[in-house]
Amino acid sequence: MTRMFVDAWDPAYGASFEGGDGEGPASPSSAQVDTDVEVPAAEWAPIGVPAAARPPDVVFLVDGVRRNDAGLWTAEEDGTSYAGLAASYAAGVVRCDLARGAAELVGARVGRGLFTASPSAGDLQAGTVRYEIHRINGSGEASKLPAAVQGPLTALEIEISSAARDGGSDGADLLIVDGPLRNRRQLPRTIGYVKTQQKQYLPAALTTVVTALRPGQRTPVFHLGTVWGGWSWYLRLPGASGAPWSGIVRVECSPDLTVEQAIELAHLSGATLPRFASASYKDPRAPQNLVPIAGLERRLRGMLGDSRVLHRALALATSRTR
Amino acid sequence: MIGVSDEAEPPRGGEPNAKPESEPVGRVLGTADATPLQFWTAVAPGSYLQLDDVVVTRRDLPDREPVTIAGVVTQVRARHEGAQFDSDVFAIADGTLPAMVQEAAEITTTRVDPELYVPPAPGAIVHRASGETRDAALHFDRMERRVPMGTGRDGVPVFLNADFLDGTRGAHVSISGISGVATKTSFATFLLYSVFRSGQLGADGANARALIFNVKGEDLLFLDHPNTKLDDGTRAYYKLLDLPDSPFTDVRVYAPPRPGDPSGAPDVSGRLTGVDAFYWTLEEFCSAKLLPYVFADADDERQQYTMVVHSVTAHLNRFAVPAEGGISIDGRRIGSYGDLVDHIVDQLTDDETRSVWAGSAVNMGTVNAFARRLISSKRDLSRLIRGDLAQRRPHQIRTADSAQVTVVDLHNLPDRAQRFVVGVTLKTEFEEKEKAGTGRPLLFVVLDELNKYAPREGTSPIKEVLLDIAERGRSLGVILIGAQQTASEVERRIVTNSAIRVVGRLDPAEASRPEYGFLPPAMRQRALLARPGTMFVNQPDIPVPLCVEFPFPAWATRKSESGPPPAETLRSIVQSADPFAVIGGRAGGDDDIPF
Repeated sequence: MTRMFVDAWDPAYGASFEGGDGEGPASPSSAQVDTDVEVPAAEWAPIGVPAAARPPDVVFLVDGVRRNDAGLWTAEEDGTSYAGLAASYAAGVVRCDLARGAAELVGARVGRGLFTASPSAGDLQAGTVRYEIHRINGSGEASKLPAAVQGPLTALEIEISSAARDGGSDGADLLIVDGPLRNRRQLPRTIGYVKTQQKQYLPAALTTVVTALRPGQRTPVFHLGTVWGGWSWYLRLPGASGAPWSGIVRVECSPDLTVEQAIELAHLSGATLPRFASASYKDPRAPQNLVPIAGLERRLRGMLGDSRVLHRALALATSRTR
Repeated sequence: MIGVSDEAEPPRGGEPNAKPESEPVGRVLGTADATPLQFWTAVAPGSYLQLDDVVVTRRDLPDREPVTIAGVVTQVRARHEGAQFDSDVFAIADGTLPAMVQEAAEITTTRVDPELYVPPAPGAIVHRASGETRDAALHFDRMERRVPMGTGRDGVPVFLNADFLDGTRGAHVSISGISGVATKTSFATFLLYSVFRSGQLGADGANARALIFNVKGEDLLFLDHPNTKLDDGTRAYYKLLDLPDSPFTDVRVYAPPRPGDPSGAPDVSGRLTGVDAFYWTLEEFCSAKLLPYVFADADDERQQYTMVVHSVTAHLNRFAVPAEGGISIDGRRIGSYGDLVDHIVDQLTDDETRSVWAGSAVNMGTVNAFARRLISSKRDLSRLIRGDLAQRRPHQIRTADSAQVTVVDLHNLPDRAQRFVVGVTLKTEFEEKEKAGTGRPLLFVVLDELNKYAPREGTSPIKEVLLDIAERGRSLGVILIGAQQTASEVERRIVTNSAIRVVGRLDPAEASRPEYGFLPPAMRQRALLARPGTMFVNQPDIPVPLCVEFPFPAWATRKSESGPPPAETLRSIVQSADPFAVIGGRAGGDDDIPF
């Protein structure tokens, strides 16, 4: 009889992997994958945390949240209309000092933007809040606007994470970025933490290694040859339901690093991340949504302000422009 | 108006704590309702607020002067912000979950100045009040006469408005609390000391008299002995309160005669000097109609025989003739209480005389019930009602002729005798006051176990006297300082007539009763664990009870800690002059005329 598992994630968030057949990430990636980096592909096997690997005392975790405050429409002089999006976004850094037992918010910044393709729109002052204009290129359909928020948010995240480390790493800490690294790869000692697996990067033969991982174990490092690629590995977090792909996260680091540095970071992630895994009864995206990240997101959402208040302020502000 | 630090207030001249200095401690919360009478304050990082701290904030109004809102901290809470689950605390302590500790304090408003009841604006800066700001917040600045009653939790003196103590605007004190830990009697005596020695009541304070009934141990018999355990810290405490650290100066102690002692020596063991025996002669017993006080149990009043009591009392009053200390009635000389009881019982059981003594409509059962109780009172009262002791020897408790403080020792007496003494003494004192018709000098009556003398249910002659004092005493200058374990068991009219209500450690079941409605919920909870020496005092012009700590007594409370007795007590009251005094020299403190 087929064994079944309930996905730990709240259905509202989708599944921790997007797949059609339940076998794992659905769409095979077209990326060139080099699986012979750490060990030859033929010798792939789960790798535990080496006894010598000590988790860093200080871990920084960066995350950002965003919220669409209101959708707008402009009325141009010539009678045309453009869609607009007023969004609030915030990025913050948590500094987990595990030696001292204190997690604190070391930096957080809130940004608000008005995203529109309208050539005539300017900054929007809604009550005490100012929405900066971010003019986007192209026709600016309403459906494309939410994606445009990601740029300024990522910029904010980079800005704040370099500020949190006072401009540099002390060589022992670790910065965990929520989501793929993308253009944040220049940050030192940084790993990207990917919660949802949408692409299947590994060949089918090696996928069994992923599903065979026990909590805390990782796959060998492999190299992704895509634009935003780099060194990457899979890791299973504790507290998963036992389904083949549950609790699996993909970790990546900058391709500018050497293989040895990447492997060191992989060891470090195996020693560090399981500790931060969340419990399913507390977090709808457990265990992948890390405890500090969840706490940070709550704080950041609080900083975004009350959406109803902002929506009302926007409505009031726009009514004056008529 | 109350000064807040951001504006320079002209300091009031001469006050010891006139410098208004207040530090910001937080801001008014916006996540909980802020009302004019109660609001929450978020405590700023690095600051703290504790219960009973006095804070002040300000609200600016358009076209008006700003309103200053002052209050007392009645609850403080701290919580993790950013945590959702109880178990998150482990993740937070582990250093994986970012969270913030935020403290918040509930403020109960004590004063709004000017009286414009607007809520403080969320976000408004809250200052800790000190100096004259604190005085104003607690209404001390409006008190013309401030009787110090100890210090607050912040170590600064707190005061009682004398207007509510001496009858000007209110009178009577009700003190409740568990026996032993609540230090009710200690607080009552300290309050008296403060009244007498603070000088706030002026001549009234110096002339005032106190009548203290000592019901437990010999605690109160050493009021005029210095306390040898007084240390420098306590002396400094008294100095802070602006009170001398000396014992009561003018104390007279009365104790019942030793049982079976024909000479009537006072029955005390600890205090050996300056104690006088009190008793009533048979003649006084008859002429002053004291018989009803023998039946002063509330249960007695419900019985049929009360009418017998009254007719016998009337008969004794009419026919008893004084005879050499005793009395003579129906041609018989009676020399002791026992004899009197026997005679009354004889007369009542005799068919021929019964109707003369008890009236005609009394049946035998009622008479027997009366006789039974009268006979049982022989054992308790025969030492107090005497026919064998000198009539002219001073033996009556009269505060007017006595010292400033009169202590009546009851602790050796059985229950019925205690009731008799309290009832008769209070009645006599109150009647004296009624006759004098003036409210001065003040008489403070300290009575513990008020629930015994004035129970909520039933009625008794003592309860009548106490009710009289509670309801009319204010104008006659009789101030009742009543103490009880449970205010809920004391006659409601006595409790409600008390302007000042004091609570020490309370029993949990008792604390939830409506009699303690003046305590806010948090304070009610605190009263369950109040330490000895901590009282909650509610006075009419401060809307929140104050938590008061009062100093260790400067007078001895037991033999072991008592210093040398004052010189005056070495001289007995029986001798009006000291036989060892040199004529013309100074004996004791008095300047007696030598002829």
